[in-house]
Amino acid sequence: MSHLLPDQLPWWVAGPGIGLCVVALYALAGLKLGVSGGWLQLLFLAERRPLTEPWRLWFTGALVLGAFLAAAVGADRTSGYGALSEVLPAPALLGVLLVVGVLIGYGARWAGGCTSGHGISGCSAGSPESFAATATFFGVAVAVTLVVHLLTGGAV
Amino acid sequence: MGLAFGFLLTASGLGDYRTIHDGLLLRDPYIYLMMASTVATAGIGLALLRRRGRTLLGAPLRIPRHPVRREAVYGGAVFGVGFGVGATCPGITVSAVATGSWWGGVVLAGILAGLWLRGRVTR
Repeated sequence: MSHLLPDQLPWWVAGPGIGLCVVALYALAGLKLGVSGGWLQLLFLAERRPLTEPWRLWFTGALVLGAFLAAAVGADRTSGYGALSEVLPAPALLGVLLVVGVLIGYGARWAGGCTSGHGISGCSAGSPESFAATATFFGVAVAVTLVVHLLTGGAV
Repeated sequence: MGLAFGFLLTASGLGDYRTIHDGLLLRDPYIYLMMASTVATAGIGLALLRRRGRTLLGAPLRIPRHPVRREAVYGGAVFGVGFGVGATCPGITVSAVATGSWWGGVVLAGILAGLWLRGRVTR
């Protein structure tokens, strides 16, 4: 394990870098960057349904590779699940995180995108729908986080 | 592009629950500064590309905008509950797995189940 990277890239490197990924994908291939669509194509593959956007499988596959590459060159390690794994026993955390995943997947398909498709690509393109979706999920997420924080006496 | 995107998401520490959680608690501006600088950079780039109207390879290029549908707000609200409780999303849960937290895999299994469930409901 090497340590070529700082524990956390400065936001002014990571942010514009991801912005350039969005531009490059449109500039080279005319495609809209997004992640949940790739998982949807994987689901279609499992369901033996025809793929509507096969390129997304390659994109999401590359994202997985990129993530492991960053970890290999020294991205900060994570273990457990932050405050949630300190408060909840493992079986309860398992249930909570499954429900979290279901809400994220269900919501992303309903909304037609997630933090990347709406939040990054759609907002960058100036799409009103993406502004609405992004404002909604960030607003709800902040509200939920603050309420949970209050209800748990600051433990979470 | 996928490779670079996955690398940057992970190297910026988003795979760690605390990075997102502190952002959603409004204690740390990192995720907002990062997101804003992403959208600012891509916004300029996409505006230039839109004016050009073609990809660099010469193919016609459309960068669509959509009027607001209700689905985007309802879906966004459901997504926001998961995003708030789990401090994760479909991309950065991969970063969590890559940096050593297998709980990210549990979230991903849930995401696939949620995508499937939404398909069942609308079929």
